[in-house]
Amino acid sequence: PFVSPAADPAVISPQDPTLLIGSSLVATCTVSPDFHLKAEDLYWTLNGRRLPAASYAALGPTTLSVALAHLNGSKQQSGDNLVCHSRDGGILAGSCLYVGLPPEKPVNITCWSKNMKDLTCKWAPGTEGETFLHTNYTLKYKLRWYGRDNTCQEYHTAGPYSCHIPKDLALFTPYEIWVEASNRLGVAVSDVVMLDILDVVTTDPPPDVHVSRVGDLEDQLSVRWSSPPALKDFLFQAKYQIQYRVEDSSEWKVVDDVGNQTSCRLAGLRPGTVYFVQVRCNPFGIYGSKKAGIWSDWSNPTAASTPRSERAAGGCDPKGGEQNTTLRRELKQFFGWVKKHAYGCSNLGIKLYDQWRVWLQKSHKTRNQVGKEP
Amino acid sequence: GDSWGIFTFLCAALCNLPALPALNCTEELGAGQSIQKTYDLTRYLEHQLRTLAGTYLNYLGPPFNEPDFNPPRLARVERVPSATVDLDLWRGLTDNARLAANYRAYSRLLCYLRALDGQAATAELRHRLGHFCSSLQGLVLSIAGVMSSLGYPLPVGPAGPSAPPGTAGAPNDFLKKMDDFWLLKELQTWLWRSAKDFNRLKKKVPPAVVTLRLEARGF
Repeated sequence: PFVSPAADPAVISPQDPTLLIGSSLVATCTVSPDFHLKAEDLYWTLNGRRLPAASYAALGPTTLSVALAHLNGSKQQSGDNLVCHSRDGGILAGSCLYVGLPPEKPVNITCWSKNMKDLTCKWAPGTEGETFLHTNYTLKYKLRWYGRDNTCQEYHTAGPYSCHIPKDLALFTPYEIWVEASNRLGVAVSDVVMLDILDVVTTDPPPDVHVSRVGDLEDQLSVRWSSPPALKDFLFQAKYQIQYRVEDSSEWKVVDDVGNQTSCRLAGLRPGTVYFVQVRCNPFGIYGSKKAGIWSDWSNPTAASTPRSERAAGGCDPKGGEQNTTLRRELKQFFGWVKKHAYGCSNLGIKLYDQWRVWLQKSHKTRNQVGKEP
Repeated sequence: GDSWGIFTFLCAALCNLPALPALNCTEELGAGQSIQKTYDLTRYLEHQLRTLAGTYLNYLGPPFNEPDFNPPRLARVERVPSATVDLDLWRGLTDNARLAANYRAYSRLLCYLRALDGQAATAELRHRLGHFCSSLQGLVLSIAGVMSSLGYPLPVGPAGPSAPPGTAGAPNDFLKKMDDFWLLKELQTWLWRSAKDFNRLKKKVPPAVVTLRLEARGF
């Protein structure tokens, strides 16, 4: 229904108030005299739901009030919609209620620098109550020994409570970083975090991760990768971690002692199984410092499968059918046990194992050819 | 075989034709493609608007996001260009007039949409709105391109609303929500109708590749 252009049909008071969670409110709706409506012709809704008539009171011939108690936080940050209607459902006026809490100190500020070029920080709101209202967060930073405050401009780069500083960052010198939160009900400032960019460096994940079989060895896979290119420019040592799992399991096994090699042999694996492998990098000892950096993200998973055991019960091994001697089986079990309990990238162990296997295969070959014991 | 023969004949005929005056082939090629692009853009915007409007109305909260919501148009200053027109009147307009009306309407709608990106909206909404405004800007330019390729002058005068959105703004937050609701609603209707307009215009200006007007020359 269109309305006369002269005046708004009704006026609500208070108009667009800001309130604390748990507070009470009495609102009034006064109809313009042009509309020939009486208080008893009106009703209220809050966020589309009709409010009970028991909470109404007629304060005059054209004024109806409503009492709201123990208000919960606003249903949406644009404000709860309190609306005064005429009997036929038409909207006469509305008021937006902003119900929430003043912000508390933002907490858990963590920062990281990608390749020493930038700084990204994230934090958590001090309280849930401030999420009912639109709360503005401003990340500020300054060099500890110089006075000027800077304000971060690029928000939401790593989630809703984050900010990205893309350039003009100094190294080898501490920064002070803090977050200011403000909304309609108040302001709060976090504690100051102090850090040197060099202490929070992370890299991209190692590129070119390749996983391949080791010859016919059915319980091993070889993993190779490259060091992240971005950090070629400055002195640092990288340490790596590998995690791997079987295709149908969600449990990752972590290999921790990779050191700064760019290859590793996984052993003690199940034959004929598909494995997913990921690698990540931690740049430490940047410019000679002793501190560890921050682990990069894991590389995208790379898959590979171990060779399936070729031996069936009868043995169709083309190299000779005598390989399932008791001796070999026991030795194999022993070495398997050793591998499982000392798995990792201990090169000595693997080399020895390989040499033993090769020797074993050779000796079986000669045995079958010549028919003698080794 | 046969097709080659026809093709050779057409080429010979073309070479023997005197230069076409007035409406030559290149202009029509431009207009046809322009109109097609504008039509496609209108449909794309229609689709984008569905998602944008859904998100925005959820942000405004109930009752604004209820399907049958139909608040009064509190007629203060005429703000958003209304898409509601007498359909016969609309069809009776010349192509030029209709295109000009579209151009003016979307220019103003774009201004209001840009102002919608207020301080309080969420980051996700601001991002979606920004993207939509870029596309809508593209539509305004596209319509200008069509008008120019058909030889029509662009409408003169301020492209934006008569008063900047800030000064003639809603006096309270609830009325602003109602304005936002109607802006999205009108935009929806405009896009729906423009698609039909451009579809009809497309048929009037045929695809130009073989528009040789041989019939007119008595071939």
